[in-house]
Amino acid sequence: MTKETYLHDKHVQLGARMVDFAGWHMPVQYTSIIEEHKTVRENVGLFDVSHMGEVFVTGKDAEKFLNKIVPQDISKLAYEKAVYCQLPNKKGGLIDDLIIYKLGIDWFLIICNASRIDEDLNWMVRNKRGLNVKIDNQSHNYSLLAIQGPRAVDLMNKMGLNTHQDSFTIKLSEICGLKVLASRTGYTGEDGFEILVENEHSEYLWDKILEDGKEFGIKPIGLGARDTLRLEAALHLYGNDLDENTTPVEAGLSWSIPKEKTADYNGKDVIMNQLQNGTDKRLIGFKMLDKSIARHEYDVYFNGEKVGVVTSGGVSPVLGTNIGLAYVKNIKEICAGAVIQVMIREKLHDAEIVKRPFVPKRNIIRVS
Amino acid sequence: MNIPENILCSKSHEFLQDNGDGTYTVGLTDYAVEQLGDIVFLELPEVGDEYSKGDTFATIESVKAASEIYMPVSGKIVEINEKVVDSPELLNEDSYEQGWLVKIEATGDESEQNDLLEYEDYKEELE
Repeated sequence: MTKETYLHDKHVQLGARMVDFAGWHMPVQYTSIIEEHKTVRENVGLFDVSHMGEVFVTGKDAEKFLNKIVPQDISKLAYEKAVYCQLPNKKGGLIDDLIIYKLGIDWFLIICNASRIDEDLNWMVRNKRGLNVKIDNQSHNYSLLAIQGPRAVDLMNKMGLNTHQDSFTIKLSEICGLKVLASRTGYTGEDGFEILVENEHSEYLWDKILEDGKEFGIKPIGLGARDTLRLEAALHLYGNDLDENTTPVEAGLSWSIPKEKTADYNGKDVIMNQLQNGTDKRLIGFKMLDKSIARHEYDVYFNGEKVGVVTSGGVSPVLGTNIGLAYVKNIKEICAGAVIQVMIREKLHDAEIVKRPFVPKRNIIRVS
Repeated sequence: MNIPENILCSKSHEFLQDNGDGTYTVGLTDYAVEQLGDIVFLELPEVGDEYSKGDTFATIESVKAASEIYMPVSGKIVEINEKVVDSPELLNEDSYEQGWLVKIEATGDESEQNDLLEYEDYKEELE
């Protein structure tokens, strides 16, 4: 059965086109994906991302447990800090990608993909044997609102949120008299906040943000623009760019993996070996050299040979070109500046390999 | 946008407009373009290409996805709308007068139009 967020009726009232996504009935667009995309790049947009999963991990072995299931070093994670993580299986393939937040000693929050909550929970339960840890899936009790864009901080200030926090931090905060968890994170490449609020208050907060945001040019933003925004920022989408047969090293996520972490974790031998010796395939970003659009699962060619496959592709409203991510054979000739071809409706179209992200990220904020 | 008279619509959301001079204009219905959302690119056939009823003759890329467009009747392409190739957003603005796709000479039997619907009936069918 398709699930609805607590804001479902708001989306319908706003005239959104609703689609099924990861088992949820979600707004794909309210007016126009391109218009919504530009609103987030230029002003501020409001997203309902309540479909995402929230799992609290507590207990005296919480840190030890998390350190066992992600390559990142949770023992180094400071109070109120967030870290982008992956959840590898024993072969280093990814069950999901996550953000882990430290809310206190032995108290962590995991935000995970809607489509992967069940797999994540199963995997976590399998990995907690012998550890004093409680895994508490609270996804059904919380709504998650993302406020993203260069004017997000002004809007949040106006609404009384204490915005004195760096990017990738989380605080127990207050906004419009509501107790919330406010995190300075997002999935757009822009500065912004993600507000975790109890379901019963979500409609009130949604309306208030749209009302107070008017002077900043706010618009509600659907999943369509969420996808084009994250692609311009070259942020991975689980199910497209990440899956159980792809390791974080192959996915270009080596930057997120500490080499010196001493604790053992699932897939560590594979991941460490790949960090040392390289991988057979690797993720690249490309831009099309004509007006055609590469899409998920189109084949990639180099010098007449099939060398890979597109995992995400689409338009870049900011660049005005079409862009994508692909996994290709890891050889030195296939590098930035090289021209590859994408097979689109039985014809090869040239594309140039370019550095990621496609559009500069503006989400690194330090206030302290 | 104005809905022209004398159009017939297919269940796959193409329209066929009788120009009265032996040619027909083919394009997408307003409902189809609304469903597609922002249209950013299209591939049209070349003048002289021939298609049977139901053949894919064009591809339309919206921000979300690529969609194939089918011939509502058999025909030979006699003109393509260059303007809409250069400015695909015309389709979103007005898919009939500005954003039509091709003009054809019908090559099949008139009975091929039997399963096409009058605009009012087409609209009703959508509800």
